[in-house]
Formats: sequence, structure tokens, C-alpha cells
Amino acid sequence: MKKHWMVRALSKTLTLIPIPFHSSRGTFSSVSSSFALKNVTRSNFELSLADLRRHVRDSDFVSIDLEMTGVTSAPWRESFEFDRFDVRYLKVKDSAEKFAVVQFGVCPFRWDSTKQSFIAHPHNFYIFPRQEVGGDDPSYEFLCQTASIDFLAKYQFDFNLCVKEGISYLSRALEDEARLHLHSAHEDELSESPSTTKEIKEVPLVRMADILFVERMRNKISEWHDDLLQIRNGRSSRIPEDSNDSMNQFQTIFFRMRPAIKLNGFTSRQLRLIKSVIQKSFKDLAYIRVNGTSCFQQFIVYTNSRKDLELLMKEVKGDLCKEAEIKIEAAIGFRHVIDLLSSEKKLIVGHNCFLDIAHVCRKFVGPLPSNLEEYATLVQKNFPYIIDTKILLNANNVLQLKMKKSSTSLSKAFAILCPHIASGVSSSGLANSSSVAVEVQVDDMRSSNWNSGAKHEAGYDAFMTGCIFAQACNHLDIDFSSHSILMEEEKLQKYINLLYLSWSSGDIVNIKTGRTTTESSAFNIFKIQKAKIVFPNIAIVWGFPSKLKAREIKESLCKVFGLTSVTSIYHLDKTAVFVQFSKSELVSDFLELKSRLEKKNDAISVFHPLSELLEGGNTRAATYEVYKEICGSPISKILFADQAEAGGINLNTTLFESKRRNARHCILLRLVLAYCKSILKGRRNQPLEPSSLSVLRCWEYFQDNVKKYKTSFMR
Amino acid sequence: MMLRRRFLCTHTSNFSINQKPAPRQWPIKQVTKSNFSDSLHELDNKISDSDFVAVSLQTTGSYSSAWHRLLPFDTAETAYLKAKYAAERFQMLQFAVCPFSVRASNKLVAYPFNFHLFPRDEHKIGMPCYSFSCQPSYLTSMAREDFDFNVCIYDGISYLSRAQELAAKGQIGNPVSSGYVAQSPSSRSVADNVFVERIKSRVGHWISACKHSDTRTNDVLVNSLRKLILGGEDYGSRPSLNIDVCSERQVQLVFEMVKSEYENVVPLIIPAKGGGTQAVRVVLTSSKEDRHLLEKELQNMEEEQSKHVRGFREVIDLISSSQKPVIAHKSLNDFTFIHSKFLAPLPPTIDEFRSSLHSAFPNILDVNHLMKEVGPLNKYTNLPGAISYLKRNFFAPIEIEIPQKASMEESKNHGHNVVRISELFAKLCFILKMAPETEPHNRDGSSMLKRCSNVFNLGSNGFQDSNEGDDISVWTHNPTKTSINNLVFVWGFRSGTSARRLKNLLLKSHEMMSEDDVFDVRLVDKNCAVVVFWKTRLSEWFLTAIGSGDGGLRELATEGLMAAGYEAYKRVCKSEILGADLADSLAEFDRGVSETHTEESAEVYWNNELMINLDDL
Repeated sequence: MKKHWMVRALSKTLTLIPIPFHSSRGTFSSVSSSFALKNVTRSNFELSLADLRRHVRDSDFVSIDLEMTGVTSAPWRESFEFDRFDVRYLKVKDSAEKFAVVQFGVCPFRWDSTKQSFIAHPHNFYIFPRQEVGGDDPSYEFLCQTASIDFLAKYQFDFNLCVKEGISYLSRALEDEARLHLHSAHEDELSESPSTTKEIKEVPLVRMADILFVERMRNKISEWHDDLLQIRNGRSSRIPEDSNDSMNQFQTIFFRMRPAIKLNGFTSRQLRLIKSVIQKSFKDLAYIRVNGTSCFQQFIVYTNSRKDLELLMKEVKGDLCKEAEIKIEAAIGFRHVIDLLSSEKKLIVGHNCFLDIAHVCRKFVGPLPSNLEEYATLVQKNFPYIIDTKILLNANNVLQLKMKKSSTSLSKAFAILCPHIASGVSSSGLANSSSVAVEVQVDDMRSSNWNSGAKHEAGYDAFMTGCIFAQACNHLDIDFSSHSILMEEEKLQKYINLLYLSWSSGDIVNIKTGRTTTESSAFNIFKIQKAKIVFPNIAIVWGFPSKLKAREIKESLCKVFGLTSVTSIYHLDKTAVFVQFSKSELVSDFLELKSRLEKKNDAISVFHPLSELLEGGNTRAATYEVYKEICGSPISKILFADQAEAGGINLNTTLFESKRRNARHCILLRLVLAYCKSILKGRRNQPLEPSSLSVLRCWEYFQDNVKKYKTSFMR
Repeated sequence: MMLRRRFLCTHTSNFSINQKPAPRQWPIKQVTKSNFSDSLHELDNKISDSDFVAVSLQTTGSYSSAWHRLLPFDTAETAYLKAKYAAERFQMLQFAVCPFSVRASNKLVAYPFNFHLFPRDEHKIGMPCYSFSCQPSYLTSMAREDFDFNVCIYDGISYLSRAQELAAKGQIGNPVSSGYVAQSPSSRSVADNVFVERIKSRVGHWISACKHSDTRTNDVLVNSLRKLILGGEDYGSRPSLNIDVCSERQVQLVFEMVKSEYENVVPLIIPAKGGGTQAVRVVLTSSKEDRHLLEKELQNMEEEQSKHVRGFREVIDLISSSQKPVIAHKSLNDFTFIHSKFLAPLPPTIDEFRSSLHSAFPNILDVNHLMKEVGPLNKYTNLPGAISYLKRNFFAPIEIEIPQKASMEESKNHGHNVVRISELFAKLCFILKMAPETEPHNRDGSSMLKRCSNVFNLGSNGFQDSNEGDDISVWTHNPTKTSINNLVFVWGFRSGTSARRLKNLLLKSHEMMSEDDVFDVRLVDKNCAVVVFWKTRLSEWFLTAIGSGDGGLRELATEGLMAAGYEAYKRVCKSEILGADLADSLAEFDRGVSETHTEESAEVYWNNELMINLDDL
């Protein structure tokens, strides 16, 4: 046995060895042309932004790609076949609200007609939602999906760089809020200027030490004050620099052209006492606190007159205000890049980028609207031209042919459409007319056959997307050299501003109009045409016994509503199903019947075909609209049943809640069941003693209905 | 210009003086996936040699909004609910464990370990966690301490909680032998007998065929053909046969039959995906010795497997089974995390939590609680603050000895807090004249440590960080106990209104409230404040008065001022989403209550007395 294992192990190592050798050789052949793309972090952001501004301004289009900390906050928030457009939007909205963007790839492409080549400038921004202004804003908190973090790790994502050096940002909405807050605070302070404050807050002097301290301070300050006046009056001053400790705490300087004392090394309580002394005893001195680089700094400033004092206060506040403005300005950070793309109105190219765009809007513009139409308007306002390469590849016959019906995933499409770039082998020798040349420029380095190969790095993914787009345009016979603007190109009009709401279902939204369509199947060779989904016919059922499978649920429903009543059953997760009925009335029939069965609180329901579904008393059912409501909830529980329970959705007529069966109820069930058995076995006379009135009532009810339920029970 | 420069100079020099000296570096063993199993063994030894175990954890966040922090007016119940909320959302990335003993002559002998965790889904079963929340400020401050996120995410140790391990058993899908528990032979039906006979003869045929084949040639083709016909395959080097079963009853029957009929055959359960049993596999051994060998192998394999599944939880199990006193700093926070990640989902009430936790950790000591014995109540809730307070006010020389060497370079040496907790504990023992070396063996329950154990620290963090400080004076030196019934939450005033202004507004509103010492106001956050009435019954009056628009309160009410009692606050804390803004959540719940009358039972475990520590406000 041992030997057997040894051989196994040996063969494993044998096959393993050549692989790294191979791959190292592979990278060697193209080593001349693989330099790192432009990684941008906090330290080089300012400089890179200046360069990027130039590149974007000159570019024909800009491709983007994002890496996030996750996609779905719960398994049931993944995209389902049974999701309507509005539900799909709510799911994407939830994702964009909860997860953080950690990497942002931006790659401007410019056509150089002398070289007959595109010049690409791939940038890879590390971003991190560090909060730079304002208090603890909970909107900065973000979710990580464990699987996504693991995925990023698999592609060697540098989390340290992201957290430590990632560029922070401030959305437009939060910027406005911060400014508003600043101005209102500023006005508040002005209205409470020292002349109008009604009372000077007194610090009670209870401790002996306090009283002594206050006295000492009063003397010190008045000494300083008198000296100052003496100098003013032209008399010689004493030299106050007796170098003892307390004098170091009293440093005379000029504050805004006025003589002042800088207060060093006092405790906050002492400072408060000093403040009250000044306010009480010195009319021409002002106590001022300004923001230092790391902490507050306190001064006592001499002012000539009341007017001068007010002037000084105004100046100080103006300074504070300006400082805060600068801070807000600096906090904008990475949003400058988004503002740049938006203001330049460039054609934005992404690959399956609906979620990416949603993230861009949520992170850099503001909260997402609650419905798809308003969202489309928001996007349109900020990014008037977006093109999705996935749409382009799937919708265009010429490109479909080129793609040879292969998958349209980013790396696949890149490999098929741009083999000359993907392989990293220079194709300069064989001038292939059908392939577009792309030259990459990073700082001073240029290469016409660049390929870093770092898949799932936002910058590189953006580069691939751009290359695919350029190549696709070429296949569509778009002439880059003609001086027309790319987004006005007629051949692209059909595809501009169309985004996949969900690629798998072919649901497309037109950002320009807010209208939604489902991709016509003619282009969709990979997708099997499914039965049409009629949303009003759908009920959602959850919390049923976990052992029930879709087939059993269908069977029990068919027993009640007829063999053809249920079109399909689809599991959201193990706790919930969609049931599509053949008619919309059946949904309300079902919900009504369910509530009736439960409300009766009668044992009879155990013989009802639905009893299997309702067993346990936690089964809930609702219309499709309730599902939409649940999807809009900010809560994300792992299981759908828990989610619905936690959401506290209002239990209106669309939703019927069953009550837990109590112990008495169970006893009843058993009694009636026994009786029922005896009937069916033909032993009608076996004694059944209704021990209480309720049992009797139950029994009578059973008698009435026994014929009706006999058939189903016999089965 | 000159002056300006001087200003700058003094500033920088000041700065350098203010800078703290570099913190002490203790050698702390850093543990990741690669050195986990070795370290586990080592830790096991150290724990059994030590008297105490200190723990400390580094999480990705602790509160989503200012009011989610522990506030002075929180009861044990609301404090638990807040801690629960945080523990369910956030994730821990580091878990430091420090077995230590305090020897005579004030010597602290400590063996600190720092484990890096990451909740990786190692077995592709969607566990231990689907997603977790992060607070950027927490990550940033970790980054400032040079925490290596890459090490943590690439090489962090994963885990499953006890509850998850149970749930996962079926999902991982390895054959299990110990899953079968021998039941008393029950009466068999006809169908059972038919089934057993059928299986018996099938197994019998298969065994004889296997034995028979030993004498025949080892022709590969013949062998594979035979396997095809018999439906058997090799299990390791031994032949085996899969028997399909339809129910757990049949599993039991197969096991009973095999055990009674065939001595050298070992039955195994093949679990189905998603729980239950898919089939029973019977493995043929050549002799009795061989059977024992196989059984031993299987046992080892299972042990190995479950060890792998438990991952870091092994450490928790070690600490738990050692029954040593566990020393923590913010114990409520830490142990809600520990319970939710390593034991089971958190129960809805603090009493259930206490009893559930007690079964795993019977003896937890919170240094914060011990601090109350020596210092002003609740004053020093952070570790460095507490240590420096002790340094300033007490003479407690403690010599720390860490006999191990750090495993990584200095900059990557994390988890110092756990040593600080040990140090603080040793100092406190010294000051309180407790002899910690004898404590664990002293079970008479009268000692100080016994008294303090398992008291969750509900010490306040203070209200909002009051660097403003101006309106503190009202509340100092007034540590009055008050019932939560005397608290009223108010909101709907202009955002950013100060507590003083609010109090003035209320003072003017009604003659019942015109005296200064009748009530006090504190801000909870910028949109919500709490009013404390110093006379009983006044709060009820206030709530009805503001509801009916009595006197001057009408004016406030029309301006949008709303009020709710403590019950509403409790209900908000109980909800699934605490909400970023307390005022919004209160308004939401207030509305909800007026719409549907809830028949909630009265809380029995809370005595309605809480400490409002006014010194700290």
C-alpha cells in the first residue's frame, strides 16, 4: 500500500515540475513589454490626477472596471429568473449600498492616426472609504462577502495597500451636507458672538486649588496686561522673562497683529478657569481657541476696543471656516476622477457594467433612488454616454460570428477578439488589417505589445474592456481616423446606453429612456427560451417544513387547485419558493384558502392537501409585490424565511400569517385522526369520547366535511 | 514672519515632547494557518500549566452609529442587545490568548499567542460566515499599528462554531463510522425482515466472491469486470460495497445485520448532501486485527477531519475545557463575539446568553469590573488609561516575564493588549491584596475574585465624547440612582441644539418644570436627547402632557418635539436594525406601537434600577 502511495506522490511531483518552468518561460518571452500599469494610491494621487486629466481630455473613450468587497449580501439576493426589472434594480441597489469599492480601473484610449494605433493609459486606483470629514457617519461602514474577499486574495489583491494607502472619497451628496453643516454652524456661532451671549458660563470654584489658581492667573494676566499698556504708552517695560516654569506656559506672541499670550501645558479644566477669568475681569482681552495641526491651541489676545474684539472674532471664525472648507475640498479625493469623466462627457466603456455604474453613482454622487426610472435619469445626467461591451458582443451579428459563439466573459472575449494583445506576442511584423493596434503608455514607458496579464485587477480589466471595444468597433467598420466623435457614430447608436440588468435573463435597461426590454432571442443562441413569466400569477411561499421539495409542493397545490393550476415552482433558497400559477386569481384563491385554514384553528386542516405545506405553523405566503418589498429592505439575513420574518413587513391583506398551534390543538388533531381512521376502517362504532366542548365542535365540523376530505385522505 | 516661524518651531518641539515613547515590545507568538497545529499543541501545554487565561480580540468594528455604543442609561438588557447587534455584524480578525500565572514576588509569567483569523469558507458549505461588516476607522487604526491584512486574509485561520459543526457534519460528505449509535434492537416488521435478508445474502455473496478472487489470477480486466458485476469498489486497499438505503431505519438495520453476522466487515455511513444518509458502505477486512486497524484508521481520519473543520475553535475548546478563569477587558463585547462565532447564534435575552455562556466558560473575570474596586467608578474604561491610573495612584510593581521568543519581526508583533490585560489583572490583585496563585484552587466562593467573576461590565463609555466640556458641570458630583421609568427620550428639535438650550426651552414650557432641579437633559446624539426627571411620576406626566399639548408644551409639540419613554428605547434595541439615527428609530417604533397594540410580557429579570454615573457624562 505504501508503495502505491509513493508512486502516486512521485508522479505528482513529476507532472508538477514542468509547469512553473513553462510559465516562467512564457513570461520571459514577453518580459520586454510587461511593465506594471499605473498604480495610484494616496501618495501619488495628485500627480496622477493631473496626468489623467490630460489623457481623458484627449481620449476618444474611457474604459472602466471596479473591484468590490462583495456582490450579494445574502444568497437569495442573487439574480433569479423570477426577478422582475424593478426587483433586479433593488438587488443591484442593495449591493451598491452595502459593499465597498476597493479598486477602480480607468483607462483612457486615444486614437493616434499617425501611428494608426490606439494609445491606452491604464490606471489602477486603490480606493478605501476612509472618512475624512464629519462625525461618525454610518454610511462609511461596508460589508465584505467572505467569498469575494477570498476571490480577491486568489488574484493577489494587496489589502494592506488598499487600507493604508487607498484614496478616500466624498460623494457629492455628503459634500453638500458637510458644507451645509459647516455654514449653519458658522452662522450659529456668529449669532452667538460674545456681545450677545447672555450669560457667562460660570465654573464653580469649589476646590481650594481652583480658587488659588484663578487668583494666580488673574494676577499674571493683569500683570501682562498692564505691561502691555505701559509699552503702548511709551514707558519702558520690565523684562518679564523670569525663566520659571509658569512663564513657559505664558508665551507672548502676536496673534493676527495683536499682542497675545499662547497658553501651553494647561489642563482642560485650568483652561476653562482661565477662560472664565478673562470673560469676567478683562474686557479688552479675548480668549480664543484655534485648530492647531494636531490639537487645539488657546490664546489670550489683547484687543483695542470692542469693535476690534468683534473684528478679531470674525477673523478667527472666518479662518476656522476656511480651514474646514479646505478639509472638505481635500476629502473629495478620488471623486475628482469621476467628476472628470462626468464633466468631459466622454464615452464610458464597461463590460457588463450595470453594477459598476450603480457603485459609481452611490459612492460618488449620492443615495440611489428607489426605482429604476429615477435611477436612469440620475445616470443619464452624470454619464450621458455609456456603452457595454457585453451588450455589443451579444447583440451584433457580425461580432457574434467573430466570437464564434463563445462565452462573452471578459477574459474570453479578450482572448478571442484581441489575440495579438492577449498572447503578448508582437504582431507588428504581420500587419493584420483586422486587428487594432493598441499601444500602452505608463508614465514614460511605451509598448505596443504590453500585457501585464494581471486578471481581475481593475486597471488591467479596464484595459481589456477598452481593447475589446476598439476591436469591436473595427469589426463594425468604424473609422477611427475620421474626425467624427465616436459616440455619434451611427453604427453604435443602437447599443449606446443599453445595459444588462441581468445578463443571464437578457433583461436590458435603456439608461436614456429608463425603458426596459428583454433581449430578443434571435441574438440569444446560448439561452434556452423559457416559459414566459407572469408576475401577477406568482405567489411566494416560505417557512414551510424544510423536508418539502418543489415537486411535493407542486403536487399538494395541484390537488387543491387542479392539475394544470401550477405552472412552475422555483426555489429561492431552501426556505422559500416561487409558485407560478396559471391564472392570477389562483394566487388570491391560494392566499385566501391558506388563511381560512389557519384561522379556523381546527383540526380538520390536517386532512387538507395543503396541510403538508402548512405543517409546523410557520408557513407564510404572499404575492409578488411583497417579495419586492422584502428585496427593498436594508436587512440581509442569510435565509429568506429569516429575512421575511426580520423585515417586519406589514402584514396586510396580501400576507397571511398562521398561528402556532398550541398544545390543545395538537391533542385535538390526534383525537380526530384516530376517529377518522376508525371510520375509514369501517369501524364506525368504536368509542370516541369528546371530552370537551371544543372537541365536540371539532368533531361536528369534521362530520360535515368528511365527504369532502375523504378522497384526499384515502390517497 | 519671524514670529510665525517661531510659532511653528515651538509647535514642532511641543509635538515631539508630547509624543509617547515607543511602546514596549513583548515577544508574542503570531499564529497563522501555517503554524497553527504546532502552536495549538504548545498552547495546550501552557494553558494547563497556567492559572489564568487572558483573552482579547481585534474586531472590524463595534458600533455603526454613536448611539449604538454602550450608554450610561443602558440597562443590562439593552447593553446586551447592542453587544449582540455588533457581534452579529462584525468579524474578528485577531484573537489573542495569554495563559499566565502570577507567582510570588509579583512576577507575572505569561505566554501570549496572537491568532490571525479569517472566516474563509474552507469546505465550500457557506460557513462560517457569508459576509461581515467593516468600519473603515477600525481598519485604519489597525493599519496604523502595521497590521498585515494580507497575512490575515491569505493565511488567517478559519473556524466553525459548535452549532455550525453540527450542521456541517452532513454537508462535508466524508464517510462516518461513529455516526451510528447502537439502539436497542426494536421489533422488526415483515418488510424489515425482507430487507435484512436481502442485504444479508447480497453481502454474503460479495464476501465469498471477494475471498474467492484472492486465489485467482490478478488479471486487471477480470478484476474490473468482477467489480462491475458485484457493484463493489476498493476502499483504500480493502474491497468495499455500497448498499443503497431509503431511510434511517434501513441504515440501522444494515448496521445491526452486519455487526451480528459478519465479524470482519465494517459498515460506514455515506452522508447525503444536505443531511441524511445516502448509502451504507461495508468494507471487508481480512482479519480481526485488520478490522481493528481499519477502525483505528477511520477514527484517526475522523478526528483529523473534525479538527480541520473546527479550525481555530480548537483554541476556544481548549480554554473552555481547561476550566481556568478567563480574564477579559470588555467582557460583554468580547464574549458576545465569542459566543456568536464559536459557540452558537446569540440568544434573544441576556439571561439565556448568561446561562449558555456559563456552560462553556464558567469563570469569567472582567478587569474593568475589578477596577471599580480600586478606582472611581467607570472612569478608566480603556486599557492604557487604567494602567496609567494605577501607576499614578498605587504602588504595584509587577515584573513581566515572557519566556518565549517572538516568531516574527518586531513590526508584525501584534496582540499586546492581552499582555496588558494580564498585567492589569496582576496589579489589581496586588492592590486588592488578593493572592492570585491560590485563587483557582480556592473554591469556597467568598473570595474577591469569586465575587467579581461573571459580572459583565456595564461600565459606561460616557455620553458623546465631550471635548466641548462646557455643559458638564450640572452633572458632576451627583451620582444619583434613578429608575429608568424616570427617563424620557425627546427628539424633533433642531439638529445641533445644545442640551443647555433644550433645558431652557423645557424650563419655560410649563410650571411643573420651571424649577431647575426637577429635571436634567443630556444629548444622546445630535438629534435626540434624554431627559431625567428627579421626581417620580413626573415622566408619565410629561409624556401625557406633551401628547395632549398641555400649556407651553403645546408650543414645543407643534414645533415637532416628540417624546417617548424607556420602553420605546428598549424596543428599538430589540429590533433587527438599530438604525443610524436614534430619533428616526424611536419615531418609527412610536408609530408602530400606536398602530398595533403589542402584548409583550413584562421583563422579569431587570430590576428597574440603574446607575447613572453623572461623573462621567
